Amino acid sequence: MKRTIKLRINGSEHELAVPANALLLDVLRNDLHLVGTKRGCDMGTCGCCNIIIDGRAVNSCLVLAFDVEGRDIQTIEGVTASADDDSIHPLQEAWAECGGSQCGFCAAGFIMTVHALLENEPQPNRAGIAEALGGNVCRCTGYKKILDAVELAAGRMAATT
Amino acid sequence: MILPTFELHHPTTITELVEIARDLTAQGEAFDYMAGGTDVLPNYKNRLNPRPHVISLARLAGLDEIGVDRIGARALVDDLARSSVLSEHYPGLVEAARSVSSPPLRNLGTIGGNLLLDTRCWYFNQSEFWRESKGYCMKADGDVCLVVPQKEICYATYSGDLAPVLLVLDARVTLVGPDGERTVPLREFYAFDGITRFLKGPAELLTAVDIPSSSRELRTGYRKLRMRDTIEYPVAGVALALHTDGDKVGRLEVAVTGTEAIPLWYGDLDLTGQPATPATAEALQEALVDRVTCYRNVPFPPGYRKAMTGEYARELFSALVG
Repeated sequence: MKRTIKLRINGSEHELAVPANALLLDVLRNDLHLVGTKRGCDMGTCGCCNIIIDGRAVNSCLVLAFDVEGRDIQTIEGVTASADDDSIHPLQEAWAECGGSQCGFCAAGFIMTVHALLENEPQPNRAGIAEALGGNVCRCTGYKKILDAVELAAGRMAATT
Repeated sequence: MILPTFELHHPTTITELVEIARDLTAQGEAFDYMAGGTDVLPNYKNRLNPRPHVISLARLAGLDEIGVDRIGARALVDDLARSSVLSEHYPGLVEAARSVSSPPLRNLGTIGGNLLLDTRCWYFNQSEFWRESKGYCMKADGDVCLVVPQKEICYATYSGDLAPVLLVLDARVTLVGPDGERTVPLREFYAFDGITRFLKGPAELLTAVDIPSSSRELRTGYRKLRMRDTIEYPVAGVALALHTDGDKVGRLEVAVTGTEAIPLWYGDLDLTGQPATPATAEALQEALVDRVTCYRNVPFPPGYRKAMTGEYARELFSALVG
């Protein structure tokens, strides 16, 4: 049986009806068509579905939608350089420049994890970035290009603030 | 993966939660408490003992404080890992918290959930399809253990990281349920096999972890073995707490995880009065390996895991002597 739920995603309020056992990942993708968030392992071990809830990167495949009513949810669709338009974020720009994404399936999860990291720690060192990305799996790049991209973006973001 | 159907309850106070638990118990309805969901939901997805009701702790107020004496059961593992007060007094607990699973899962998982972590086994943590093909085990849907074939004891392995450190610190847990509140030493909390796991009634909620002030004299450390440095569960882990009296061992506490169905505190392993030297570290290594038993139901061979508990104990002893 479906119940009404109110979710705040990327600053917008959404009201819809979903069953009690609905996972946030399913609500994002199937009900709200925010398909930038990917379903990988579905068991919390790959990080493809990572989003940010109240400033923390979490696996949306292990979050019940009804548990996060009233919380601040951010998905890859809400990651832009400026709140006024949909210009791409320095992280996404650096990802493209460094080849941080090859098949691209894991990229949104990585970017969300790093986005949360840089909010708390704008200039992490390479070991700190690697540690923060301990819950994200990429089968293409070998991670070097991803770490390069994060360093490049963090440097640029620090220079402009 | 679609979760099985269940009714979801969202109490906002402990009183409300206890009422829901009491009503469901009276109706004969099974339920699980769920905090972070990082253990419950993967099991539910695999159809491992799902219940018709889930009582979520997501909207419960409080129970998330982190202090030197008391930690609320809903405190996030990531917050433990970053706690300056814990880092000052119990660095071993912070080390263990920092090593739990992966960063995003530490942002969801709680200390209470980590202590109550379900046991793991090759024959249990599998999809419904896999388990049906192999034949069900006694922990879910079957009646025989597939690790050590018999029907009495479940040999699934406990793999929480925080329990061994809290065991050496002699922590106590507070449980609240329809019959009131009680406090139990963690050393008496874990019991029996991979199905029973601990002496907690199904309607009891773990609300807090208390660490006695007498444990502040101890230096603590934690080491563990796992397939990768992140995400994976420990398949052997050792926590040590040491207080030296001059150049002798004043007090030494040892506990392990990732070996048997429950985390184990070795109270009989007494090296009080022994010199704090590498020779004693080796004696500790030998004594621990003698006591540890591992089963072939998680990654790495039992003999290797057993040997590694000894190695870690020796390393930790030397590191804590400093």
